Amino acid sequence: MSVIRPFKATDLFKFNHINLDLWTETYAINFYLGYLSRWPDMCAVQETPQGRMMGYVIGKAEGNGIERHGHVTALTVAPEYRRLGLSRKFMNWLEKVSDENYRGYFVDLYVRCVNFAAIKMYEGFGYSVYRRVREYYSNLGLGYSIRDEEDGFDMRKPLSRDPMRRSVRANGRDIVVSAQEVP
Amino acid sequence: MDRQLRPIYEALDTNSNKSAILACNKVLKKQSNNLLVKALKALALVRSQKVEEALILCDEVLASKPVDDPTLTAMMHVLRGLGRHQDMVAMYEDAYKQQPANEELGTQTFFANVRIGNWKAAQQIATKMHKQSQEDRYLYWNAMGALLQANDPTTPETLRTILFKLAHRLLSQVQAPAVFYAERFHLHLTVLKELKLYDEAYDLVESESGRIVCSSSLACEELRREIWKLKGLTKEAGEHAEKQILEAKDRNWLEFLAVLDATFVDPEDKSATAESIKKTRELLGKVVEEDGVKDRSGHLALLELEKRSRQHGLATDTTTLNSLLEAYFQNFGGKACCYEDLKPYVELEGEDLARWTAVLEKQTASSTFVPDLWRYINAQKLLRYNLPQSALTPEAEIQRASQQIDAYLEGLKLGKDLPSYELQPADDLAILAAQEFVSVWKQTGDEAYLYNAAALLEYAIVRSKTSYQIRLHLIRIYRLLGAPSLALEHYRSINVKQVQNDTLSHFVLSRASTFSLSSIGDLTYTSECLESSRIYLSNSEDTAELIVRAFANEKYSQIHDFIIFEDRLENSLQRDLIKMEHVRMRIPHEAINSELVDMELIELKFIFDRLHHDNRDFSILANYQPRSSETFHDQTQFLTKKTPGLGWLWVFLKIYIKAFQLASDLDDTVEDKLLIGDRPKPSNDPETKLPLKDRLAARKQEEIDELSKDEALFYDYATALSEWLTPYHDYARPPPSAVLAEAAKLTEQKTGHPLKGLEIPPEAANGHAKKDEEPPAVVEPPAAISKYFDDMLKRFKEVSEGKGLPQELLHVVTLTQEAFLLFAIETTRFKAASVIKQNKFGGLTQHIKDIRTKSVAVLTEISSALISRAEAEATAEGRKALTNACKPIIHESGLDHDFVLNVAKKITESRKQILEGVGKGIAKVTKAHV
Repeated sequence: MSVIRPFKATDLFKFNHINLDLWTETYAINFYLGYLSRWPDMCAVQETPQGRMMGYVIGKAEGNGIERHGHVTALTVAPEYRRLGLSRKFMNWLEKVSDENYRGYFVDLYVRCVNFAAIKMYEGFGYSVYRRVREYYSNLGLGYSIRDEEDGFDMRKPLSRDPMRRSVRANGRDIVVSAQEVP
Repeated sequence: MDRQLRPIYEALDTNSNKSAILACNKVLKKQSNNLLVKALKALALVRSQKVEEALILCDEVLASKPVDDPTLTAMMHVLRGLGRHQDMVAMYEDAYKQQPANEELGTQTFFANVRIGNWKAAQQIATKMHKQSQEDRYLYWNAMGALLQANDPTTPETLRTILFKLAHRLLSQVQAPAVFYAERFHLHLTVLKELKLYDEAYDLVESESGRIVCSSSLACEELRREIWKLKGLTKEAGEHAEKQILEAKDRNWLEFLAVLDATFVDPEDKSATAESIKKTRELLGKVVEEDGVKDRSGHLALLELEKRSRQHGLATDTTTLNSLLEAYFQNFGGKACCYEDLKPYVELEGEDLARWTAVLEKQTASSTFVPDLWRYINAQKLLRYNLPQSALTPEAEIQRASQQIDAYLEGLKLGKDLPSYELQPADDLAILAAQEFVSVWKQTGDEAYLYNAAALLEYAIVRSKTSYQIRLHLIRIYRLLGAPSLALEHYRSINVKQVQNDTLSHFVLSRASTFSLSSIGDLTYTSECLESSRIYLSNSEDTAELIVRAFANEKYSQIHDFIIFEDRLENSLQRDLIKMEHVRMRIPHEAINSELVDMELIELKFIFDRLHHDNRDFSILANYQPRSSETFHDQTQFLTKKTPGLGWLWVFLKIYIKAFQLASDLDDTVEDKLLIGDRPKPSNDPETKLPLKDRLAARKQEEIDELSKDEALFYDYATALSEWLTPYHDYARPPPSAVLAEAAKLTEQKTGHPLKGLEIPPEAANGHAKKDEEPPAVVEPPAAISKYFDDMLKRFKEVSEGKGLPQELLHVVTLTQEAFLLFAIETTRFKAASVIKQNKFGGLTQHIKDIRTKSVAVLTEISSALISRAEAEATAEGRKALTNACKPIIHESGLDHDFVLNVAKKITESRKQILEGVGKGIAKVTKAHV
């Protein structure tokens, strides 16, 4: 339960309690306004009945032909609003927009290989690992092996235009590419 | 040609400005009139901060009215770097005039106007471009420009409607219907909404294609809801929402609100409303049954329904609210958000409250499962929320804190296997206990309770390293305890970045000059000010470009918000509060000369013309204090209950602008001639139109109310001082022509070129022209000036011997030092014997000397008292006393004696550092301004 509404530039003044989180990066103004000036329809906020932001998603559409897809650049929910189904709602919504507005074949996202909770959650939403990307992230110093900490999984879920599920594969965890090879 | 340019561009791309300049020089040797190369050299010069040289080249290029794209682009960057946006507009307009068929030039001219919010000119260009190309996008640009002009605060009310009508007319010329593009559709709806053409707007959103657009664009959907509301379709919206809830299983809270609004659409008609309430209750009952604990909407909507029924006197059963609350707590008490969900509904009294309290009290601490722990935490927060004043005695609060600590330590066991970077589920119990200790301190004034809170929170942060909430609490408490280095350490651990600097830096930078050691050369806080201010530079460099990009991509729904965002950061209150603190830290550290005085004078005067926005995030600091008491934020404020805001800033601006004006030789005419770049537009506030002199002299009670007691004394002192000295400064200040001549001489020395656009009358060049008036007679200084120092010495002793917090002590001391420095700023001019002699100010020297001697004596006494206090601080006894004060929280293991002793050591050492540093700094400052 929440209010789902468009992400606005002025939300940057109100997202502290969401962004002061280990897994959430706070980027330069350019980043957020850059997304909003291209894909405003892929950025959304959920807030409480009292108007406090609970989480947000920022996405984009990219690729051509059968590579056309929606991409989740950032999805985050403040700790106190986790386990309430907000992420599922965001993802359903973004999949709908990717499908209807951008005619994409799939939606994809990157996640740290050590962010086990997130990986499990996305698997629950129907995403699977498509490939492992070497050194995609900076090290957080959490004490895992350097590989695991810096590598990311590229996870995907096919949309209605891909009924044969050509955009995913079963052995994705074994396919390793370098960060330079991905867009 | 390409061969020659490549090395220049490559050097610029890699930011090797020196080699770019060399490469440019090489080309210019052979082709001294190559405009592009001149422009590129100007760019390299701007980037290497060689502004004077860049200006010369820049003006040369502009004078030759370039039209080719590479030169224009290079010049765009040059002018942006110099802040000369007006000139950029003129440059593009000239070029476009020369080649009116060039669409790209038209676009660039349009964008140049967009960057500076010149909507009227932008519209004219869009009109021209549309005439030429017949492209719809230019109609939309034009309409968007009209809309923005209408919304500009400087646009008169009468013109607004005309502009909205103009936008409407433009959009009616569009060939392809807007519904194909969500963003164009959004613009169209906005215009209709502004013109109150709700019927037309309604027909658009409810057309078949309109519905499709709204279903996949949240921005259009938001407008659709608004239009329904404005059209008075509350009832219909309710029916629509009911369908959404039942059929599409939509759990958007807005749908539930629509149903609730419809229920109470005509509250005067009691019987009809009672009937609607019954129906809505049935609907929500169905939702609750269907969703169970999967979704909170139905449950929460039932509470809201009951609350509104009570407000309208239509609640039938007095026990319903209690039953609903109990059910909600039963269902969702295990979720972290339960407290926040219920807060709007639990302001109960009498029997209702007693019944609710009894339910919550039954909830015992249990640490078998995380949801059980949350249920306990939520019960504790909800209980505390309703505690009356009478239940908040120190004994009761200590008892509560001790109970929370036991539950906290027990709760930690639940999270013992979590990775070190995860939050502990029990964290909030430690925070509750800390707030209870702060409440005891607030009542008793006994610092010991702040130590308890600090030590407990230090323990909690070790167990839950990533909790920003615990760190924010520690920052507040350490500032009270006068341990600023620890506060800063925790602040840095939060890792505040980018725009968060604007919203969160107040935690450490509010009144930060109290904790600065710039006087002894420690620039930690000074550089924190600079770091935090970088975001304002990126805003002014980048945001306008993004507004341009939103136009280029036709994302009309974003443009207005981008503009608001840019303005809120540009004119951020926090920005200028930091600036003021930075000035206050610079002065004890640097020499007081014309460079500092003139520069700060100009900047502070700009700030004085701004209309500020307060973006500071205070809501992030959790508050678990009862509703009958002050919030945690208010309790841990710096000395006063009021956060320094606009009033506080205004007082300090007045003090410093006045002081710098006296010290400076710049008057307005000189300043205008020497200023590079555009002057910022003063805000629309009518007050900015009044003469500066009157504005500086105005004393307003609402501003003074934001000051601490000691700051108010300082304000009085500063006023008396400047009133006394103003006549002598005004008489002795060299005439503008002499000041300009001096500036011209300096520029020529620096760049080898004369200062442009200046004509200096020959007689002025040799300095002091004969004055017509007689010099003002020297009078005795007002007694208030030297009495201020006596009063501050008294305050120092009072706080030092009494129960004042270390924070208060530092506050008194740094303000006394500041008064001394203000005196130094305002008397530097009279140090020169020639000034005294020429102006016949003989008597002034002695008066100045008397005040100086008095202030130095007071400061010296304070300084040595501080240094000896610092020595007493970091001793074994000091640590022991602090540790003993923490008895209530010391446990056998973990949070044990050794742990607390360690915290005591950190606190006492931090305090020693600041007391000693400030003490030594005073000695240094008094010596520096003999």
